[in-house]
Amino acid sequence: MTGLRQAWLVARREIRERSRSRSFRAGLIVMLFVVIALIVVPAKLDIGGGPKDVGVTSAVPSALSSAIIAQGGAGGATVRLHRYGDVSTAEEAVRAHDLDVLVVDARRVEWPGRVDEELQAVVTGAIRLVAVQERAAAAGIGPDDLRALMAPVPVENVELGSAAGRSPDDELAAIVITTLLLMAIVIYGNLVLTGVVEEKSSRVVEVLLARMPARVLLAGKIAGIGLLGFAQFVVTAVAALLAALVIDSVDIPAVRAGVLAWAVVWFVLGYALYAMAYGALGSLASRTEDAQSVAGPVGYVLIACYWGAFLTVSANPDGVWARTLSQFPATAPFAMPGRIALGSVAWWEPLLAVTLTLAAIAGLVVIAGRVYTNAILHSGATLHLRDAWHSEGRPSRGIWQDDRRDSGRAATSDRDRRTTARSATGRFGRK
Amino acid sequence: MLAFDSAVKRFGSVAALDGCTFEARPGRITGFLGPNGAGKTTAMRAVFELVRLDAGSVSWRGAPITGAERARFGYMPEERGLYPRMRIRDQLLYLGELCGRTTRDAGRIAEHWLGRLGLADRAADRLDTLSHGNQQRVQLIAALVNEPELLVLDEPFAGLDPIAMGAMADLLAELAAAGATVLFSSHQLDLVEELCEDVVIIDKGRVVLAGDLTDLRAAVPQRFVDVRYRGRPPDWSRLSAVQVVETKDGYARLRVERDTDLSAVVGAAASSGVVSFAYQPPTLSELFRRAVAA
Repeated sequence: MTGLRQAWLVARREIRERSRSRSFRAGLIVMLFVVIALIVVPAKLDIGGGPKDVGVTSAVPSALSSAIIAQGGAGGATVRLHRYGDVSTAEEAVRAHDLDVLVVDARRVEWPGRVDEELQAVVTGAIRLVAVQERAAAAGIGPDDLRALMAPVPVENVELGSAAGRSPDDELAAIVITTLLLMAIVIYGNLVLTGVVEEKSSRVVEVLLARMPARVLLAGKIAGIGLLGFAQFVVTAVAALLAALVIDSVDIPAVRAGVLAWAVVWFVLGYALYAMAYGALGSLASRTEDAQSVAGPVGYVLIACYWGAFLTVSANPDGVWARTLSQFPATAPFAMPGRIALGSVAWWEPLLAVTLTLAAIAGLVVIAGRVYTNAILHSGATLHLRDAWHSEGRPSRGIWQDDRRDSGRAATSDRDRRTTARSATGRFGRK
Repeated sequence: MLAFDSAVKRFGSVAALDGCTFEARPGRITGFLGPNGAGKTTAMRAVFELVRLDAGSVSWRGAPITGAERARFGYMPEERGLYPRMRIRDQLLYLGELCGRTTRDAGRIAEHWLGRLGLADRAADRLDTLSHGNQQRVQLIAALVNEPELLVLDEPFAGLDPIAMGAMADLLAELAAAGATVLFSSHQLDLVEELCEDVVIIDKGRVVLAGDLTDLRAAVPQRFVDVRYRGRPPDWSRLSAVQVVETKDGYARLRVERDTDLSAVVGAAASSGVVSFAYQPPTLSELFRRAVAA
């Protein structure tokens, strides 16, 4: 029986039991619902796209009305034209938000609230076009000459990032990747934490540790929760992507495949590193209520590392600080994928950072395994890290005290034990 | 054979095991006795490397215990615990597979014991839907799900009702008869006396008495005489080689040396209208008290 197979069995149990639980399924459904709603609802609410209702009064010449429709079509928007006899009725329609804009005449345009800049460009463009056509006719320029004069000039639009060789998509990718990683660590790291404390408080851990070393149990647990979390992420991402494609409303930023691959690597490493710390500290607590306070330090370090990496990398991804933080194991999972997305790393930098982080994880496995083994058989008050490092849990007394405030089950066995103790040390030979 | 050799384990300044040496033999039930805090749980945990010994060793069949061998041991910790929300059958399969059993193999063993202990129809239920007594049964099956060659049980009788105790005792006897090495701790000395071939008594981390129970009792130079009578109580104090341990209405327990001539005692008993007369080595309780008090 190898440790690897046992770790897999532990991971499989985590996946099976957790995916079977009602809270997990409900959570996944809620998450899918929220993500899809975030994509579909704004599109359905006509924010941005969708046909525009443009009102025109009788003062607007038909040339201008058709120019508005043409301009809208050129800009990718469908314009629905509504004609009004008098201005006051039209203004009522604007106030009721039945119209997105009202063209009173070529000099006055009315809006229901703030100016919709896209629609403004359509309307003013049309007004200008009609005006130019009129002026051209007055100046004796024929329609063909005018068309030649107005022929579009090809302009190339380039979206520059804040540094050479970088696009806004890259910058967005850097932010999204690091923030998603932070979320993943917080959510799934905490599942590891509560899982460890639950095993300790239900006392099943002694049965398990008689079967395998603590590091195998911890590694399997982290792997199982991680795989489940990754699956949850993938399902959600695919749902979001499908929704976006079906609705065709959201621009999906172009992320380079290399950036994405590195992001996955850093997800695994960052999660493994922090989950290991959560697991080790979780073993210090005996009750679920103590879990959060015991794991507090990991949370602080995590947030500090995230912000440190975020601020330095976004300030200057090539700077000394960003380069240093992208090598340091605690910050590397946040700093390095950001720098990779921004395209500012030398080829050896991610490799070195991965090696260092792997070494840190290996070190943490040893430390966590020792703290875990020593702490896990200790029941009662929360242990201090230093004590857990130095000595293992000692049976008797502490256990009794812990039993008493536990449950009826424990109280029964406690009473039994006291009776048997009396018969063992009291008077003998009554047979 | 499970053998402890000069095992030492300290927790800070306290020595939980202080040169602990004893054996548990295959095909026999060994009772592991001692007052609270004597080191029983620590010793049992050492078999599974749940505590690391500071010195000395625990060996199985003459060699240090490896993970592969531990996979063929069964363990029931003093602090019972399984996954409360996990289904019983899944739970047992999981523990069996952790011991290197195939799913089918573990399933077969689990079915056998679930049926045997009357839990066959509860296999698909969550553990926390079971009564306390049934949870204890599942805990026992969890220790048996790898068909162990060595069974280590820390206070298996604690919290059981008399019927469950009897069933547990029968089961341990059956496992030992099939060749398993069974080591269990208990404070119920009369039960141990009934059930065990061997006993190990430990105090303050050291073994104070160990061996075949019959031999140990026979080796004590004193014997006990239990007399029940109908008539007037005899005046035992007139008999020179006899010490009175206990007297009450119609009953007396006397202590004599092994080679004492009993004719005077028999005569005195006969004159009081004897109902029953028994001449026996000390009980386990008496052995225990002597060993631990020493």
